[in-house]
Amino acid sequence: MSEGMTRVIRVTIVLVVAALVPSLFVLMAGHNPWRVLETLLLYALGPQGWSEVLVHAIPLTLIGLGVAFALRGGLFNIGSDGQLIAGAVLAVFFAPYLEGWGIAGLLVFLILGSLGGAALGALVGYLRAWFGASEIIVTIMLNYVMVQMISYLIRGPMQETSRFWPQSYLIPENCFLPVIVQGTRLHAGLFVALIMVIVFAVIQRRTVIGFVSSVLGANPGAAVYAGFRVKMLTVIVMAISGGLAGLAGAVEVGGIYQRLQDNMAEGFGLAGIAIALIARLEAVAIPLAACLFGIFFAGTGALQRELALPFPLVWIIESAVIFAVAAVQWALPNRKAVA
Amino acid sequence: MAVLFITALLAATIRLGMAIGLAAIGEAASERSGIFNIGIEGVMLSGAFVAAWGSVRTGSPWFGVLFATLIGILLAGVHAFMVLVLRINQFVSGIGMVIFGLGFSSFAARLTIGAKPTSVHGLASLDFGAISHIPIVGSVLFGQSPLAYIALVLAIGTGWVINRTAFGLEIRACGENSEVAETLAIPVKRRQTACILFGGAAAGLGGAYLSVVQVDAFVENMVAGRGFLAVACVMLGRRKPVIALLAALGFGLAEAIQIRMQTIYPDLPYQFLVILPYVAAIAALVLGHSRRRFSPI
Repeated sequence: MSEGMTRVIRVTIVLVVAALVPSLFVLMAGHNPWRVLETLLLYALGPQGWSEVLVHAIPLTLIGLGVAFALRGGLFNIGSDGQLIAGAVLAVFFAPYLEGWGIAGLLVFLILGSLGGAALGALVGYLRAWFGASEIIVTIMLNYVMVQMISYLIRGPMQETSRFWPQSYLIPENCFLPVIVQGTRLHAGLFVALIMVIVFAVIQRRTVIGFVSSVLGANPGAAVYAGFRVKMLTVIVMAISGGLAGLAGAVEVGGIYQRLQDNMAEGFGLAGIAIALIARLEAVAIPLAACLFGIFFAGTGALQRELALPFPLVWIIESAVIFAVAAVQWALPNRKAVA
Repeated sequence: MAVLFITALLAATIRLGMAIGLAAIGEAASERSGIFNIGIEGVMLSGAFVAAWGSVRTGSPWFGVLFATLIGILLAGVHAFMVLVLRINQFVSGIGMVIFGLGFSSFAARLTIGAKPTSVHGLASLDFGAISHIPIVGSVLFGQSPLAYIALVLAIGTGWVINRTAFGLEIRACGENSEVAETLAIPVKRRQTACILFGGAAAGLGGAYLSVVQVDAFVENMVAGRGFLAVACVMLGRRKPVIALLAALGFGLAEAIQIRMQTIYPDLPYQFLVILPYVAAIAALVLGHSRRRFSPI
């Protein structure tokens, strides 16, 4: 059998198995997988769903960019959820002072979000580089810590003035990201995400930090031998990665919630890892992968409403996609391996 | 008063730490053979659900425990296949497993036992008669769930197999340098598969411990990071099963203290106490570091 045929067969097997697993669970729930897929796609690509797909794709793109940047540097950032919260909290904390600054206020708001996420990311990088603490474990632990911190803040110091709901005060109106399509939730965060895609495509290819971090990821020994300041680099890479998640936090607040609340963007961090892997860590491919996951998130929400299929189906689909993408690398062995 | 308090605290330490400990014992064996399974969080979630479901369906928590062990082995088998046969990055496969476990347990629970409030038949604690009623030692040492004693036997047994048997020597050889092990005619992949499957079984048991011993219910995402804490225990215990179990009991103690402080200091926001085990994990990793080795994760 020719090598080409082997590859086609292998890829086919991978895709069939990946499609079978979620289908099996749909069948167990007593639904027809074809009809479920039809419902999912009809909603997600239909007149109501398309904007929701993009609404989800905005934070997922930013988080995916951050995860991919860290992975290029050989670092697993599983803490996007926590960094997102850190960014949202810092931005909302200073937001009242930005009232009346106009568009500059919005810019500062977004920068504050990035700084919040970057600070948490830098902490992880520091603990990793100087103390050898696994960034995987530390980022996950910080996720749980940050969930509790936001829970405290919106019931305590940052609670809205009537002190009734577990949510923060509203941010001033000039910090809102305006809706760009009337009648939908699609907001100007879309442009923020697209700008960052371009910025990181350039960083990846044309800048020193992009090159140096790739060397660190591909061969840490070579990075040390080449005289790179590996420890400092680890901190910087994690800070940039966390900064993108923090920016996603500010964008979510500015574009959708306008305040802090519980369960903001829960589980986007794990999705971000899947997105980075699907996009093979290429910045320009990340928005496409993010849109795919936007379809999953928005579509599964519709399945829950219309067919009473539990929403956690989205995680089953997501894991099938992760395994499939990883297995395709086995099927096509000559391609560049991820991470 | 103080005696009662300490007794209750120690008993709670074991009760709250054993789920992490069980998973950590298996992960220690797996990592000794050279394979990380960062996905035990997902395996534990699946085990917790399957144990609760099996207990409700059959009426016996022991069947639940059995099912949880089996699903643990099954999922670990997938991990072994992905890592050893398809040569997929072990952390990528592990994260896939975390997400799958989250989806599978929550999805299946909402369709079955989670649809309406269901009480799960829990596993009764052992009662050795008179010695279980001795102050302090009685309830701490002789009044625990059978799974806690299984964990203790498992930890010591695993340590013995790894350190004192030819089979264990082969496992260590695989973990230290798999290429050299290969040249010594050790079936590396078979040894590693055995360790990964054992790790899955132990993680499944850990999940079962949560739903049929610790809580007597299945709650979505109830593992809440304990799988990752187990991985941290293995790092802290330098891949030694018994020490990893002790580290897990340390997290159990942190959790037990945290819960008691909530009632002692009602004015303190509870969120600052809930984070205690997670902060302890970060602190332990930072303090327990070895400077000479830039570890793979």
